[in-house]
Parts: sequence; structure tokens; C-alpha cells
Amino acid sequence: MTASGNCPTGTTEERELPFSFTPQLFHLHKDHEDGDIHRHMYLQDLYVSGADDEPALSVSEFACHISGCSAVFSALEEYEHHYNSLHRHVCCSCRRSLPSARLLDIHIQEWHDSLFTVLAQRQDMYQCLVEGCGQKFRTSKHRKDHLIRIHKYPPDFRFDKTKKDRGTREAKRPQQKDTAMEVADDVCESEGVCEVMCDVLSEQRELGETMETLVEEEAARMTKPAATMEHTDLSAAFDGNGCTSSETFKTQYSYRVPTTVCFGHSSVRGFRGRRGRRK
Amino acid sequence: MWRLNRVRLKAGRLGDGLAELRLKRREHEKALRQARRDRQLVSKRLLLTEDEEQREVTMDTASGQQDLVDLLCKVQHSGPERGTHLKALSKALRDPSEQLTFIKQENSVNLLVSLLTGSNAQCRLHAARCLHELSHSPHTNVAPACLPATPYLLTFLSGQSTKFTELCLYTLGNLFPDSDVVKDKLLAQGIIPALANCIENQKHNLAVVEAAAFSLTQLLQAKDAAEKIIPKVLASSLPSQLLSVLNPDPNFGLAPAIECAWCLHYLACSDGNGELLALGALSHCSSLLMSLGGAVAEGNKEEGMELLVCPLLRCVGNLVSCCPVDSLSTQVGDVRLVAALCALIKAYLHTQPALARESAWVLNNLTAHSTDFCSALLTLNLVPGLIQLLPFSQGINTMILRVLANVAHKKKESCLQLAQLGLLSTLCATLKMADQEMVTLSLEILFMLVIGRPQVADEFVRLSGVSLLEAIQYNSEGEMRRRAAYLLEHHLLSHSADCTVDNVP
Repeated sequence: MTASGNCPTGTTEERELPFSFTPQLFHLHKDHEDGDIHRHMYLQDLYVSGADDEPALSVSEFACHISGCSAVFSALEEYEHHYNSLHRHVCCSCRRSLPSARLLDIHIQEWHDSLFTVLAQRQDMYQCLVEGCGQKFRTSKHRKDHLIRIHKYPPDFRFDKTKKDRGTREAKRPQQKDTAMEVADDVCESEGVCEVMCDVLSEQRELGETMETLVEEEAARMTKPAATMEHTDLSAAFDGNGCTSSETFKTQYSYRVPTTVCFGHSSVRGFRGRRGRRK
Repeated sequence: MWRLNRVRLKAGRLGDGLAELRLKRREHEKALRQARRDRQLVSKRLLLTEDEEQREVTMDTASGQQDLVDLLCKVQHSGPERGTHLKALSKALRDPSEQLTFIKQENSVNLLVSLLTGSNAQCRLHAARCLHELSHSPHTNVAPACLPATPYLLTFLSGQSTKFTELCLYTLGNLFPDSDVVKDKLLAQGIIPALANCIENQKHNLAVVEAAAFSLTQLLQAKDAAEKIIPKVLASSLPSQLLSVLNPDPNFGLAPAIECAWCLHYLACSDGNGELLALGALSHCSSLLMSLGGAVAEGNKEEGMELLVCPLLRCVGNLVSCCPVDSLSTQVGDVRLVAALCALIKAYLHTQPALARESAWVLNNLTAHSTDFCSALLTLNLVPGLIQLLPFSQGINTMILRVLANVAHKKKESCLQLAQLGLLSTLCATLKMADQEMVTLSLEILFMLVIGRPQVADEFVRLSGVSLLEAIQYNSEGEMRRRAAYLLEHHLLSHSADCTVDNVP
């Protein structure tokens, strides 16, 4: 199915239909399992009706669709939580997952917008992350200080850590990742911001450690050691801003999905009608 | 005659040995599955003696063992004590190693044959009992040794003594699978017509019917049955005989019907199901299935009923799959079969999930090409119940989703109704399942529901379906991505676009 939505004629559309369901008849082979086993147990006088060691009925699991994410859940709520936590507000450029649409916007602005970088040299561009505060700062460090002093964020918060600290924190992840994080950190300083808000929001939602851990666990789970081949597809899609190094940040999405499929500008937060491909 | 109660009694009496019993049973199950994998699954039946039946204990062969050779000598010399010795011999022959010893003795089987055909009725019975014990041997070389007796055993099938006939039937049924030599001889000696005559003449003696049908199942399970045996069976009166005795007798129990049903199943698996259809097999089996389903719906689940339900389901399912569509309704007879099947699914869902799955399979075959059966599901209000079964795996939910897809496919006008009955909201859950087949089927059904129905599309959007499909666009399977993308582009996003445009101030 192509990206273009223009299908002038009905017949073209039918030919391109990816749906193929037709009712099917199934024929059962003579030596089909289970029922035959019970039959023979009955013949051999071993059968007990309603035996309580029968195989228990099982319930289908749910699984995250995103290619590369192998998370599996036994309950629908777990799935929802997982998806909404990790796969919603995702930056198309660097594939980082942000907890909210607003933070995604901020991230995109601060990481991937060259205009921002230019303007930031002259004026206060770094917004306070607390919604409603509205203050802006010249550097991310100023913002950090503001968050601690005014909004009472604990001093040992993630965003407080220096590059060296981050390295030790990430030490439990595979070595490859450390490098990636460090390099990325050079250029994208506000990375810590994302995880900050993760913590804040998790506290606000009284989720405690779960959300944070989940992010790390999920990210760790999504780690694929050597997928060098697949990186080449994406390198063209990234802008130069050091996010090429984040290629080694194991992506949660299929490498084969071109960025043109991405909705809107750098976000997969849902349809907003900004795609402009339809008419 | 087999009584299922016996099995339960056995288990109950052991008390704290119940755990060991379960363990043993599980080991047996494993052995059976392995045998199935090796295509060596053969079962024999042992008819207990009258003493054993009355006391409901199997005899202990280890104690009071007389020397077999000694016994044999005693039997060889005629005299008033012969019967007693013969009876003792039959007890001794319960032991597998003694069975081997026996056949190694010169003329031992011939001796039995002469007694089998002699003038003393008691000795005939005991001799037949000896042969029966031998037939039950786990050693496959014992059966060929019994060949001298088979023409006589076959002759006795049309005799008058029903107990005797029963014994002969089980003996023949046990002997048949053990070697090709035995098979060929028995077929040449006319075992098939003999069985047909037997059932016909002894129709009212259900113990004999059970025994004859059991023996027939042994024939029909042979590896080369399709070429050598089934055509002959189909050409005989056996299929119609089996159908006429299919209904369970309330006093006698399910056992004869169980054997008949398995015979019919083996026949239905073959290429000869045309003949079966012509005899009205589908109608017979369907109506029996309907009464069983009705019984479970009312809460009357007879013990061991699943042993009958299983072969019936398979028979019906396979016959339906090869029945021409335009005659399906008439062949089955009553579309309310679908209600019975749904009742069976519910009844066996937790205890025998495989059986629930097979019931769903039959539903699939019924609804695949028939509008009548699809309509029946709707008019009998069975759809909500089916939707509730969609969480359950092990092949159950995929089959049920197929059934629902069949209905949507066959009766496009019912799609709105299906959506309103809860299928649309359930799809929001099934689209998130780990099972790829579930997701694929869900996408297919979603397509069928929304196409040409904007109100359904709107409802799906309201149920947050759009983000769901967006997620699928990142699925590793290209087929999935294409389907999701198509649905978004052609049916869902247009509606959302209209909505947001309207809402933007």
C-alpha cells in the first residue's frame, strides 16, 4: 500500500486492497490429537471423566506491536500502560520517547531545531518544564537550577548529573550504550529532561518507581547488540545534530518503516491532520 | 460391557494413592502421545471375567500361580476336571510372560481350538477366555500364534450365545492390529461381512453391538485401511447399521454409541464420505449432537459424555466440509445445531479446551459458505456469547473469530448488528494480542465492518481505535502495516479530519 492517498478510480483501489479474508473449510485428519488420546485411555481403562489434571484453559497474551519491542502482557491495562508510556510521544528524528506531548514539543525544539540554537544564543529560550510556570532561561543549567530552587526538585535528580555521573548510572547497560549516551549528551544536553519529567510525572501519578524502571527495562529489552546493517537506512533520515550517534540507541521501531510514514512533524502522538498528503 | 463407573470406582478406592494414580495416568498419557507420534497407537480391550466384574477387582495373577506347563498337561488329559483346569489356565494366561511360555509349547493353541469347537459348552467358554487373554498380550508375536483359531471365532459371531459372541468379538478386535499376517488372514476369512451380520442380528444386544463396533474401529485404524478396508466397509451394510444404533440407550449408557461414533469418524475421514452423506450420516450425527448439546445446556452433563461428543464433532465437521453447500441445510436438518455447538463450547471450555476448540471448528465449517447457518447465529442470539470467548487461546479464539468473520463476510447486512453487539469494542482488544493470526483476522473483520458504514468508523475512532492502528503501522509484518495503513487512510482518517476541522475554532 503506497503512501499516496489518491486513488482516482474504484478499480485501482480494489486491486490494491490488502484484505484477503475468505471463509475456509478445515478438514480434520484421522489422527488428530487430544481426543484420540482420551479415547485410547478410555479403551485401556485409564480414563477418568472430569480429571482435574486436565490442561488449564489459557488466555491470550497481548503484545506490543512496535517492531523491535518484544514486550508481552497478560492484561490489557498493562499493554495500555506500556504503550502510552513508551511509544506515544516519540521523536521521529531520534526515536526518544517522551512522557507527554508538551515535553515532546520542547524536546524537538531544543534538540532538532537549528533555529532554536541560533535564537538561544541571544535570548532566553529554555522553557521551564513545569507547566504554567512560563519562565525561560538562557541555558539548560539555569533552567535546572530554577527547577531545583523554585519547584523544589530534589538536588540528586537525574538531570543534575554530569556527563561523568551519567556514565556510571548507565554502567549497568551494555557498553555500547554508554558510549552512545555519552556522545549524545555532548550535543543534546536536555536529554536528561525527558527522564526528569518521567520521574516527576511518575510521582504525580503515584506510580513510584514502576514507570521509571519500566522505561529502563523496556529500553534494555529493546537492545539489540549488533544491527549495523539496519543503521544505514536511517542515517540519511537524521540531521547532522549528533543524532547519528543515537543510531546505536536501540530503536523501538522497524528500520524498514520510512520516516515518511511518520505522522506530522516528528511525532507519533496521533493524528492531527497535519500530514497534508491526502488531497 | 464397559462401565465408566468402574474407572471412577478404581480411582476413588485408592484414597491417598490418588496422587500416584494421577502421576501414573500422566505417564500413560505421555506414552500414548509418543505412540501416536510413532504412529503405533493401538489399544486393546480386556473383558473381565464374571468373577472380576462382580467383585470389581482385577485378579491378582501373582499369587497362587500354578505352573503353566503343568496346567497344560492337565488340560490335555480329558476328564471331569478338564473345565476347572482350563479355567485356571485362563487365569494364568493373564500374565504376559506366561502368554509367551504358552505359545512356545507345542500344539498349545491347537489344543485350545479343539476345545473351542468341542461338545462341552463350558470348555468352549473357557477356551475362548484363554484365547481372549492371549489376544490382549502386549507381545506382538502372540497374535500370529493364535491364527488357527480365527476362522472359528468368526463363525461364532453368528452364534446364539451372546456372552460367547462378545468374547470372540473382543478377541478378534485385539488380534487384528498386531501383524499384517493376521490382518490379511482375517480380511480374507471375511471379518467384515461377519461383523456386519453380527450387528444386524444382534442389534438389540447392546453389549454385542459395543464389542462389534470396537472391533470395527480396530480395522478402520489400520495404516492401509483406506485402500484395503474402508471401501469394503462402505460397500457393506455396516455404515447404515452403525447409524441406526447410534443413539445412546438411557439404561445401557454411552458405550456402544461411543464405539459407533468412532467408526463413523474414521469413515468420515476417508474419501468415502459421499456414501456416508447419502446415508444421512450428517443428519443422524447432527441430531445426536443437538440432543447432547441440549442436555449440557440444561446442566445434564453425563459422565464420560465427552467421549461421545469428540468423535461426533469430528464426524460432523468433516462431513460438513465435503458436503455441497446447497444441500447443507437439508443434510444437517436443523440450523439450531449452531446453538448446541455453542452450548458445548461453553460446557467444555475449562475442562476440555481441545473439545471446545473442535466445537468451534465445526461452527466454522458450517458458517463458511452457508448463509442459513450464519443467519441462525444471529437470530438465535449466539453472537454475544461467542464474543465473550475471544480472550481464550489454544486455538479457540482464532477459530471463533473466523466464525464471526464468516458471518460478516457472508451477510454484509449484518455487519452493523455485529458491531453493535460488541464486536467492535472487542476488536480493540484483539488487535493488541500477541497472536498474529488474531490480529490479522481482527483487521480483516474491522475492514468488513467499516466499509461503507461511516457510523461504525466513527465509533471505532471514538474507541481510540486510530492510535491502535497507528501502532500497528510499526509492526514488523508488512501485511499488518498495509492493512492498518489502508484502514486509516481510506476509512478512518477522513472522518477524524472532518471532526478536527469542525472543532478547530
